[in-house]
Parts: sequence; C-alpha cells; structure tokens
Amino acid sequence: MTVSSPLGSEMSGEDIAYGDSLVEVDGLKKYFNQDSGLLSGVSFDPNQFPPIDVGQQRVKAVDDVSFEIRRGETLGLVGESGCGKSTLGRTILRLLEPTDGTINFKGDDLATLSGEELRQKRSEIQMIFQDPQSSLDPRMRVGQIIEEPMRAHDMLDDEGREERAKELLEKVGLDPHHYNRHPHAFSGGQRQRVNLARALSVNPDFIVCDEPVSALDVSIQAQVLNTMEKLQEEFGLTYLFIAHDLSVIRHISDRVAVMYLGNIVELADKEELFENPQHPYTEALLESIPVPDPRKGEARGVLEGEVPSPINPPSGCRFRTRCPRLIAPDEYEWTDEKWDQTRAFMRAVKRRTFEPMTDEELRVEFFGGTLPQGEPGEIVEEAIDLIATDHASDELEQTQDEWDEARELLLDSFARQSICATEEPAYEIEPEYGTDAHFAACHLHR
Amino acid sequence: MSSEPLLRVENLKTQFFTDAGTVRAVDGISFEVHEGEIVGLVGESGAGKSVASMSLLRLVESPGEIVGGEITYRGETLFGLEEGPDGELRERDDMLSNEEMRTRIRGNEIAVIFQDPMETLNPVFTVGGQLREFIELNRDLSGKEARKEAIEMLREVGIPDPEERYEEYPHQFSGGMRQRVLIAMALACEPNLIIADEPTTALDVTVEGQIIDLVDELQEKYDTSFVWVTHDMGVVAEICDRVNVMYLGEIIEQAPVDELFHDTKHPYTEALLNSMPRPDRTVGELEPIEGVMPEAISPPSGCRFHPRCPDAREVCQRVHPENKEVARADGYPHNAACVKHDVFDVGYDESVPLDKEPQMTASTPSAGDDGE
Repeated sequence: MTVSSPLGSEMSGEDIAYGDSLVEVDGLKKYFNQDSGLLSGVSFDPNQFPPIDVGQQRVKAVDDVSFEIRRGETLGLVGESGCGKSTLGRTILRLLEPTDGTINFKGDDLATLSGEELRQKRSEIQMIFQDPQSSLDPRMRVGQIIEEPMRAHDMLDDEGREERAKELLEKVGLDPHHYNRHPHAFSGGQRQRVNLARALSVNPDFIVCDEPVSALDVSIQAQVLNTMEKLQEEFGLTYLFIAHDLSVIRHISDRVAVMYLGNIVELADKEELFENPQHPYTEALLESIPVPDPRKGEARGVLEGEVPSPINPPSGCRFRTRCPRLIAPDEYEWTDEKWDQTRAFMRAVKRRTFEPMTDEELRVEFFGGTLPQGEPGEIVEEAIDLIATDHASDELEQTQDEWDEARELLLDSFARQSICATEEPAYEIEPEYGTDAHFAACHLHR
Repeated sequence: MSSEPLLRVENLKTQFFTDAGTVRAVDGISFEVHEGEIVGLVGESGAGKSVASMSLLRLVESPGEIVGGEITYRGETLFGLEEGPDGELRERDDMLSNEEMRTRIRGNEIAVIFQDPMETLNPVFTVGGQLREFIELNRDLSGKEARKEAIEMLREVGIPDPEERYEEYPHQFSGGMRQRVLIAMALACEPNLIIADEPTTALDVTVEGQIIDLVDELQEKYDTSFVWVTHDMGVVAEICDRVNVMYLGEIIEQAPVDELFHDTKHPYTEALLNSMPRPDRTVGELEPIEGVMPEAISPPSGCRFHPRCPDAREVCQRVHPENKEVARADGYPHNAACVKHDVFDVGYDESVPLDKEPQMTASTPSAGDDGE
C-alpha cells in the first residue's frame, strides 16, 4: 500500500462512522411536467374510458422513495430503463429539483439547500456518468479536466492542483505523463478513469455512479470495476451504483435496491436479494438474465406485457398489472387453478393477444372447458358473451366497443378488487442470508 | 453433421482503405452454418464481427471492400474471386450479380435483423405499411393479401392487438415491440438464414428474455438458421448451438457451445469468461484482461492476442497460429488458434515465457496519436 497520502481525508465524513447512515432519503418524489407543445395537455390512454384525457399531466418518475446509504458501502440501484433510477440519482445530488421529500446528507437536508450553500456541498458529493465520451470536454486537456472541480471549490494553488491531478491519474491507473493529453487520445475505459479522477479531485464522501461501466466491453469493465473497488477502500468512499446489469450489481454492491416504475420494490443485502428474492418483479428480473453457462438456464419465467406509463401508474402495487402472482380478490371463493385461468383470460382480453373465437373455443382455450364456480363464473361468462364471435354483431365498430366493455368488466370485477390494487404494499421480512433488514413491497407477505 | 452446409464462408477478408492505412477488419475467417442451427459470432467491439456479418450479404460500403475469400450459400456463390489472365484478381463468373443479390437473396433467402430498430424503421410511415410493402415487394402478393399477411406476422411475433397497431408509427412502439416488428419483417419471406446483429443489446433484460424466447419458438417452427452476432456471453450460452469467437479480425476459437464454456481451448476465450461478473454467483475479484485490444490497422506480430495473453511465450511473437482442430465434440471440430496445443508443434513448450512488460492500462489505444 502506498502512502495513504495527502489526498487523504481531512474533511471526509469525519463525524460519521463506517456503517452509519451517510445519506437518508425520505419520501422523495420527482415529478416532471409535460408542458411543451400545443397538445401537451391532451393524452391518450387506451386503458381508460374515455381514452382521451385533457389536463395537465405529470410524469411520476420517482414517487415516494425512502432508503438510506451507509458510509463506506456500495448501494446498488437496479431497474429497467424508464424506472426512474437515473432520475433518483440526479435528484439526490440536486441536479434536479425534488418535488417533495427530504435528502439528509451528514445532517443537512439537500432538498432545501440552495445557492452558495448547495455549491459548497457539491465538493462532498460527486457523480460519474455513463457515457465517458460526452462527459469530458474534448477541447480541454486531461489535467485541466481533473483540476476544474478543485478550482471551482478553491482548493490548493496552481502547483498543488497539478500535483494532485497527477497523483490522482496514477491512483486511477493512468500514466501521470498523460496530464497534457486530450480526451480523444484515450480509450473508453481510460476516459472513464479520467472521470473517476475528476470526481475524486475534490475529495468527496459520496459518489453517485450512473451506469459507469455499461458502455465498456467486458474485459475493460472488469478493469474499471476493480479500480473503483480499490479506490473505495483507499478513500473510504460511499457509492450509489446505478446500473441495469444485474451481474455488475451483484459484483460491486453490498446492498441492492430494485426499482420499478418510480418505486423501490425490494431492498436487501446483496446475497439475500439474489438468493432469496421476495418480490415477483425481482424474481422475474433474476430469471430473465442469460447466464453465461449453457448447462444452466431454461428456467425462464418471462414477464408479460410492458411497463405501464408513469403518468398514470397503477394503484396499489405498481407491478400488479404484469405480476404473475396477482392475488385473487378476497370476496370470491377461488381454487388456485381457476384464479390462474381467469387471470390469464383477463390479461389476454386486455391486450387482445388472441384472435376472435367462438364461445366454445374460448371456454376450452382459457378454462379447459369449465368456468369458475359461482359469481366469478357468471362474470367470466358475461365477458365471453361480449367477445365471442358467435354472439357478436357483424359491424366492426360494435366489436371494438364490446371488447372494451368485456375488458372493463373483467378488470373492474377482478384486478381492481385485489388487495394488490387497493393497498400499497410495504413489508419487512426476516432475512435468510445475513442480518440486514429485507424490505419487499409485495402483499404476498401480508 | 449434415452433408452440405447452408452457408460456407472460406478465408473471408474485408478491408477498409482509409487515409491512415488499410484496416484489416476481417482477416481470413472461415465458418459454416448448417440447416436449423444458431451459430454465434462473438467478440468485443472492434473484433470485426459486424463487418463479417455484413460481408455475408455484400453490404459492405466504401471505403470498405471484400478483398478475398469465398462465400457459398446452397451451392450458389455469393462472393468469389479468381485470378484473371494478367494475374489480377477478378470476380468469378458464377458470382451472383448485384441485381440477383437484391432480388433473390436478400430478404428472401437471407434476412437481417439489426441492433437499432429505430434506425431501421422509417419514422414517417406506419409500422404496418412498412411491413406490408416489404411483403408486397418480396413475395408478389397484392396489397390486400400483403396487409393480411402483415397483420398475421405481427400477431405471430407477439404484438398485442395487431389490427390496431398496424396503423401506428414506429415511435409509438417500445424498443422491444420495435424489435419484434423487425423480427416479423425478417421472417415475413420465410428466409432460410437470418443474420441477427446484436438484436437484443439495446433491450432491457426482461424484454431481451422475451425476444430470445420468441426466437427460440420461431426457430423451432420455421427451422430457420441464424448467425447471431453478439458480445454477450450470456446470450451465447442461452441460444447458440455452435460459437465462433473473434479477436481482432480473426476467429480464434470455434466450438459447440458446451465445449466453448466448459472445455475452453483459447486463452482469450478463457480470459473473457473470467473477466465477467456473474449473475448466478458472487465472484470475489474479477480477473480483467490486461490492456486494450490493439487496432486492426497495425495488428501485433505472431498471435494477435500475445501482448495481452497470460500464457504468451517467445514463440507467440513469431508464429501466427492458424485455426486448427484441437479436439472433437459431437462430430464437430473444436478449433483453436493457439500454439500451446500440441497439433501446432512449433516448440511452445521449449519457448521462454514472455517477460510481461508492465502493461500500464494507460498504454495508448493506437500507435497513431502518441503525444501531442
């Protein structure tokens, strides 16, 4: 180990012990207005009636998210594109104005800071972006790039800054002699190292890394990930590591949060989350990663449908419209089999994934010939009546209305009655691996 | 092994003539695709896999040019050169003309799925209209029949409510749905071979899963062969029957998928597998491959991987290894281009291990732009 150096930590998180919470996010919301364009207020939602909506709509990119990040740890934040993970990262850094909620960082609420106070704080929180190309100014030399944040925060004098920049170049695995080069002379992995050096220049405590390795080839990815781990140890850094790649998340994180449509649906210790996932979305996500081993796999549980719009997210659990384990509404008696069939039928009608058929064919196709007992059976029968080809009137227009009616009938009677639709889930579960709290937003744990 | 391969590529060379010099993007690769199999073409960016796949359809554009080799598809020569009377290489007589390539081969016999569906679909025409036009042109159907067929194809690839969505524009489709449209387009003429160039790379994992399942299903149904170009070893393990690993314009290992992962014969493939974080288990420390891939404009002497290879010895600097059979599995050869295997017999065992130059990760990416 080299000298723990003047780069050290005279100002980093002095009063917070390792493992105590460094960042505490509570009830954080970030809504975006859609206010450009002539028809901005008009929106189309085929799941609603009438499908055209007029009025200001807000995209709920991050909706009521709470968690903490502990000093010295890496919290992985994983989710698919559009789930709000980058927005969350940027809102925490106050690169975006939060709509509501608090961001407690070392005793200050970042959400309410402004102006000079906030600017000062920025030396303690830094960010690394996904695209190493566009996050470096092509006209500046690498040395200047690394020194710029120090200059902005009035750190050191010219000579001191140059010395520190060179030292940092070496720390991130670059040659200090490259101080005078331009970014174009570096490869993607090297540029990401320059980004690392720049972020480290002001001696931050906390770095938000937004997909830092996803633009890199695997072999280069490993180099950069290893360097990030080494630097974390050396400088006592805390990372919020945002990525869509579950393998990378599994490698680098201590704890992992899974995001879906603006909410955190599960948060647990890494080992616990990967080995004992408790939210159906996490399970689906884990099952769909292709494993680099031809002897594994085949156990793919593919998720149906697509992510709903964040403008009008589903009530209750946001994953319920695609959840393979949507809970049966309580007021009816169901056997598991009949509920599974009804759910499948309901979704097939909703998405119109099958060609029009006759009454008889529908019963066989979806229910194996026997409809559910009692009231649910009657509702299903009514829906079949509406869409079956042998009952329908000939006019095309009419059929469209009948499909819509059948869909609304099924959704109203079943999906919207489920506890998944009526209550927002939030449960704490006994972990199987480790001792850390395991949070899962799923009513299966009620 | 079935008798005659569907597609045979021999010693294919594609080069780009630039101001800085000749880039040997694809430098003498050979492989075969048999009926009904999915053949992977894997490598990191810059390995030449996309250029190789585009060469198959003669879709390489200037300043790029196919300069050597032979491509045979079902007995027809897609590309072939011969020596003319004055010693110059010229195109062979039996090579298909551009016209024939366009009308008979592309789309009808061999189709392509590209990585970025937004760039492939025209944003100012409806999705259905584009699909219909494609079917109309290639299959000689009337507009009405083509429309029916287009809707049928959209349903086939799992697009919900295809009649409605037929009228929509590409921007109204999500990434996964657009990729499905491209698959529908590729399948529309029931080709025998589909070249898929990183078709799932831009997609989320759950969507990628859906698409891979769809391809599996359709492949079973239509018995289509695939050349699957990707950098993702996970996808390769999941979908491919046989795999070609590319490094700097060359194929350095060829094997059935199980052998490639469990009986790896080339140090590069090995290193690639070791450098990957795993989704199915926690890896303590990753073993990255040292350095970066050199540029194809000035490849290293001898074995092109030797400057980064953990097993490199003195002989590796001198001898350029051809891809040779080092084992057999399921009737298929397992080829590797590494002199450490006995079949090469160039004195690897006696050769001295190379002194590792301290490979700074900061070595210049190319020799060209050293200094200011």
